[in-house]
Amino acid sequence: MADIARGQSPGELLVRDGIRVDRMYAVSSGGKTWIFHDGVVYEIIEESHARKRAGAHESLTAPMPATVIQVNVTTGAEVRRGDILLLLEAMKMELPLRAPAGGRISAVNCRAGELVQPGATLIEIE
Amino acid sequence: MSSIRRLLIANRGEIALRIIRTCREMHIEAVAIYSDVDANAPHVLAADFAVRVGPAPASESYLNVPAVIDAARTAGADAVHPGYGFLSERAAFAAACADARLIFVGPPADAIDRMGSKIGARALMEKAGVPVVPGHTPTDQSDAGISAAAHAIGFPVLIKASAGGGGKGMRSAGDETTLAEAIPAARREALAAFGDGTLYVERLIERPRHVEVQIFADSRGNTVHLFERECSIQRRHQKILEESPSPALTPALRERIGRAAVAAAQGSGYLNAGTIEFLLDGTGDAAKFYFLEMNTRLQVEHPVTELVTGADLVRAQLLVAMGEPLPWTQADLAQRGHAIECRVYAEDPANDFLPQAGPLRLYREPSGPGIRIDSGVVEGAEVPVQYDPMLAKLIAHGATRDAAIARTAAALRRFPILGVRTNISFLINILEHPAFRVGDVHTGFVEEHLDALLRTAPPSPFVRAVAAFALNQPAGSVDGTTTAAEPWTDLRGWGR
Repeated sequence: MADIARGQSPGELLVRDGIRVDRMYAVSSGGKTWIFHDGVVYEIIEESHARKRAGAHESLTAPMPATVIQVNVTTGAEVRRGDILLLLEAMKMELPLRAPAGGRISAVNCRAGELVQPGATLIEIE
Repeated sequence: MSSIRRLLIANRGEIALRIIRTCREMHIEAVAIYSDVDANAPHVLAADFAVRVGPAPASESYLNVPAVIDAARTAGADAVHPGYGFLSERAAFAAACADARLIFVGPPADAIDRMGSKIGARALMEKAGVPVVPGHTPTDQSDAGISAAAHAIGFPVLIKASAGGGGKGMRSAGDETTLAEAIPAARREALAAFGDGTLYVERLIERPRHVEVQIFADSRGNTVHLFERECSIQRRHQKILEESPSPALTPALRERIGRAAVAAAQGSGYLNAGTIEFLLDGTGDAAKFYFLEMNTRLQVEHPVTELVTGADLVRAQLLVAMGEPLPWTQADLAQRGHAIECRVYAEDPANDFLPQAGPLRLYREPSGPGIRIDSGVVEGAEVPVQYDPMLAKLIAHGATRDAAIARTAAALRRFPILGVRTNISFLINILEHPAFRVGDVHTGFVEEHLDALLRTAPPSPFVRAVAAFALNQPAGSVDGTTTAAEPWTDLRGWGR
C-alpha cells in the first residue's frame, strides 16, 4: 500500500511506502495525464479517449501546424509500413510522415504547398 | 573607444536573457525586441525597454532587418547584440547596423561575409595553413553536376548548402541511390533556410568527432583561444550535448588545434568571439583535424567554455565591441574541471524527434552547486510553433568528467516538464551509455545507439499508484498493484 499526498507546489505528489518516500509530478488535461518520475515522463490516456482512436482504419494526422512540401502517394496506392507518405516542414525542419501500417491509401486530403493544422487528417489508409 | 550604454538584443528566448544578465552586471540598459506571440515573453519582462518588431513568423519579425534597426532607433540604443541564429550571421545586418551608427557586437560585415561562404572560408584556411576536408562547389549545379562532383571526390560524400550552417540543407550519401534522394532534399532545405540553393560536396570522414575551438580577437591585434568543446553528440548535424575538455584531446593535440584556430582567426581578419569547427579523425597525438567551418557569433554551447575557464564571454564581447582590449591574455586562460551542456528540446524522440508545441503545464528547473540553467520559458507559457523548440540548456560543472556526468544526469532526473514531450530521458540515456561514459563518441553516436537511447524504464508500482490517484482525484491510499490495470489503457514511457 502506498500513501499519496499532495506536495507543497501544484502538481507535486509525495508517495510514501513505510519509511520509503518518493516525489512525482502529475498534471491532467483533455483526457490525458502526464506523470514525471526520475527523469521519465509517463502519459496515461483515459479509456474513453483511447477507444475513439481504435479501429482497423489508420489515418495520418498533422502533428503540428506545418507546410506540406511533398505528397508521395495517390489514392489507391499500396504502401508498406514505414514508407514515407508525406514530407512536412515545420520549425525549419523537414518531417517525414511514415505509414504506421501497410495497406491501401483510401484518401489523400492535402496537397503540396498547403498549410495544415494539428489534428487535420492528411492521409487515410485501409 | 566608444562606450555602450544601451544595448538592443536582436533575439529572443534563453540567449536574450543570458545577454541581459551580463548587461545588468555592466550597468548597460537592455532593449528587447518581440514578435506578437512574444509580447509578454520572459526576455521582454527582463529588459529595460521592449519594442515590437512584427507578427509571429520570424521572417516578419526577428529576421526583419529594417524593423530591428528601427527598433534600435526608437529605443535610443547605441549597440546591437545579435545572439545566435536569426540575423547573427547575416553580413547585411552587420552592415545595416554600421550604416545606422550602431555598434554591432560581433565581427565586421566583411569578416562575416568571408567566413559565411564555405568556398571562401576554405580558400582562406588553406592560405593560413589550416587543414581542410577534400571537397568543392561544382560550377554545374544540376543534379548531374553534383553527382559528377561526388564521384570525383569519392563516396561517402556530404552535400551541404553553400550558404548554410546549423545542419540545415545537409545530407550524406553513401552511394548513387542515396545521392539521388539527397540532392533535391538538400537543395530544397538550402533554398528554404537561406534563400540560396547552391550546394557544396565534400568527402565524408567516417566516425569523426566534432571538436570546435572558441576564439576571441580584439581590435588591438590580440587573438586568443579558450580551448575546445567536444560536440560529437548530434543528430542530423544538430548538436544535443556538448562538453569541455574533449576526452579525445591530448595536451599536444590541444596545443596544435588551438594554434590552428588562432591562425584561422588571424587569417580571416577576425574581430570578437568566433568558433572554429574541426572534424577530428582519430584520437591521441597522431589524430588529424580538418577545418569544417567558422561560426562568426556566440555559440549556443558557449556556457561550457564559461564554466571551465571562468570567463564571461558576453562581457568580453561587449568590451571588444567598445574597442577595449581582451580581458585576458592566452597565459591567463586555463581549463579547470569539466563541463557538460545538455540541450533540452520540446520534441518527441520516439516519433522521429518531432518538434512539439503547446502549453508547458508544469515546468520546474533543478538547481544546486555546479548547475546552471539557461532557459527562456516559464511554467504556464506556450511553446510557440514559430521558433526553435529548445526550452533550456542545462549545464553542469564538476572536478572531473565523471563528476560532471553524474551531476548532469542527477539534475535531469529532477527536471519535471509536463504538457509537451521533451528529450530529457533521451539525454539521461546518452549520459549513462557505456560508450559515452568512456568518451568513445563520434558524430554518428546517436544514430548508432538509437535503440538503446530511446529505451525507458517501465512504470514502477509507485508510478502506477500515482496514475490511479491522479485520475481518480480523491486523496489517500491506492493499491498500486491491484488498481493498476483499471483506469487507463495506454500507460507508457514514451520510449519504444
